Amino acid sequence: MKRIIARLDIKGNRLVKGIHLEGWRFLPEHPNEYCYNYYLQGVDEIIYVDAVASLYNRDSLKEIIKKTTDNVFVPITVGGGIRTLEDAYDILRSGADKVAICTQAVKHPEIISEIAGKYGNQCMVLSIQAKKNQSGTFSVWYDVAREKTEIDVVEWAQRGEELGAGEILLTSIDHEGLERGMDSELIKLVSKAVNIPVIASGGLGKSSHFVEAIHSGADAVAIAKALHYNKVNIEDIKLEARNNNIKVR
Amino acid sequence: MSNTLHGLPEEVIFCKTCCISNQRPSTKREFSKKSSKDTETVGFGEDGICDTCKWFEFKKTIDWEQREKQLEELCNRFRRNDGSYDVIVPSSGGKDSFYVAHQLKYKYGMNPLTVTWAPHQYTDIGWKNFESMIDAGFDNVLVTPNGKIHRVLTRLAFENLVNPFQPFIIGQKNVAPRAALQYGVQLIMYGENQAEAHNKLEENFSPLMDISHFCKKEGEELYFGGVHIDDLKQHGIEDKDLFLYKPLQEEAIKNAGIEVHFYSFYKNWSPQENYYYAMEHSGFKSNPDGRSEGTYTKFASLDDKIDGQHYFTMFIKFGQGRAMNDVNRDIRDGFISREEGIELINKYDGEFPIKYFQEVLDYMGISEERYWEVLDNARSPHLWEKINGEWQLKHRTI
Repeated sequence: MKRIIARLDIKGNRLVKGIHLEGWRFLPEHPNEYCYNYYLQGVDEIIYVDAVASLYNRDSLKEIIKKTTDNVFVPITVGGGIRTLEDAYDILRSGADKVAICTQAVKHPEIISEIAGKYGNQCMVLSIQAKKNQSGTFSVWYDVAREKTEIDVVEWAQRGEELGAGEILLTSIDHEGLERGMDSELIKLVSKAVNIPVIASGGLGKSSHFVEAIHSGADAVAIAKALHYNKVNIEDIKLEARNNNIKVR
Repeated sequence: MSNTLHGLPEEVIFCKTCCISNQRPSTKREFSKKSSKDTETVGFGEDGICDTCKWFEFKKTIDWEQREKQLEELCNRFRRNDGSYDVIVPSSGGKDSFYVAHQLKYKYGMNPLTVTWAPHQYTDIGWKNFESMIDAGFDNVLVTPNGKIHRVLTRLAFENLVNPFQPFIIGQKNVAPRAALQYGVQLIMYGENQAEAHNKLEENFSPLMDISHFCKKEGEELYFGGVHIDDLKQHGIEDKDLFLYKPLQEEAIKNAGIEVHFYSFYKNWSPQENYYYAMEHSGFKSNPDGRSEGTYTKFASLDDKIDGQHYFTMFIKFGQGRAMNDVNRDIRDGFISREEGIELINKYDGEFPIKYFQEVLDYMGISEERYWEVLDNARSPHLWEKINGEWQLKHRTI
């Protein structure tokens, strides 16, 4: 069963959407409104990413999570600024089912094992921000794509799996926010290299992009802008998936 | 006797709504600057709020539909149907000038000529974005100054004014009006009025740029890099080398009927929105190395290897660097709160731009030792103190 996930990038108590993970353009309604709407459309999961969490406190995000659990009954993943087991506990206690870790995993990979050990592998999502190099390989970035590393994305995904990550949220920085299609090459490379599910993120602009991502090896696709701006709806994606013999809920 | 350098006010005040201080200089004509003291600083009211924030409050009351009608009228007044250019857009290939040129051409049916004053040293991304702009459908004239002369002027501007960016600023102001004269174009459209960022509030109420920014005043003595024009010979620069730098004749501009307008008068100007626009309508790319040194953003001032030094020298002289600049804009545009801005400043402002440092030193032909000598002498005692051998700012936004 392949999953359709709504990704909501949060700043403070607002829903934001950038391009290439840059910029803070606000969406007009409260994040919970969008989230509930996607739930009604039949979304399989929700991912909240706190876009500026490494800088500011997260009280408003916890409020959003709590409110989500009132009327949205699908798994919720929350990422952004989680540095310690206590941070993870805080987020899970607010109602999240999984945590996604990016920056802190790059700086201190042992956090992956700690969270997986304490809360289970299924709870630990390794979030990878990937950007293509001139040489054609992909490097790991962090801190909302502000900082780059020399770490190879494929090796990092494998390392994450070894350390206990249960899933990978794979975001293509170069495709993110433009709705021109997802990075099939990146999805293929990573999903071939690991045995855990890969959630592809960045670039979906129409239903056929979902099919392409799944055919490239993704287990799930996270969609943001195209949902927020009503370019696609979840029913249409499911229809397109079934027409292409992809099993969806 | 004032205890400050660069003609700065002794008492440091931070704006209550953004993070700017009263030490931030305004844009001023460059031709007559003899020393770094020839600056004016951003205006503050007695309520502790800077002029720029007051302008942004006023901006909320502007009827932008009405302003767009004015823009259409302006375009109608200058539009030509004989195939010749009818507007000049000074462009770097960056997001802002791309937005202006693209809208004028594809939304308002003008026939723009983009005119570019070359950076000191193009970065790879700067050159690529410049090419992307042209590929998105524009004619362009690139004016590149004599490298030998430009280097000397850059060094003089650095040593005398602690502003290595001055030769670029001078040329950038002159290049479009000169092209307008050459190509017989009567309308020049700049992007953002500098008053949006740090000049006098009143300047925002006119769509027109004061032509004295690129015209000679009668009887005026000219200085480049803080050196009188007659003394530049001592540095190997002849009068004929200065054609691109010297201000134009006011008469010539007036007789040709040239008008210089700011697009930000007609449109609600937002650098972030311009970034989205450029991403969606061209092959514009943000900084391939992630955030730019000294700040958190990835999309501004990317084309010149000296850009980082431009902001860093401002940090030394005025205590306000690149992150501060971005933060103030983002606060006024409503993207971040003042508290968030302070966090960003504390995290990034004043970070040393190391990436092109050696290349910039080589370009100016000075040693690293000399570089720090100039900068350390530019630290005003009312802003800086040395604690345990390290320079620290005395005042930070709180």
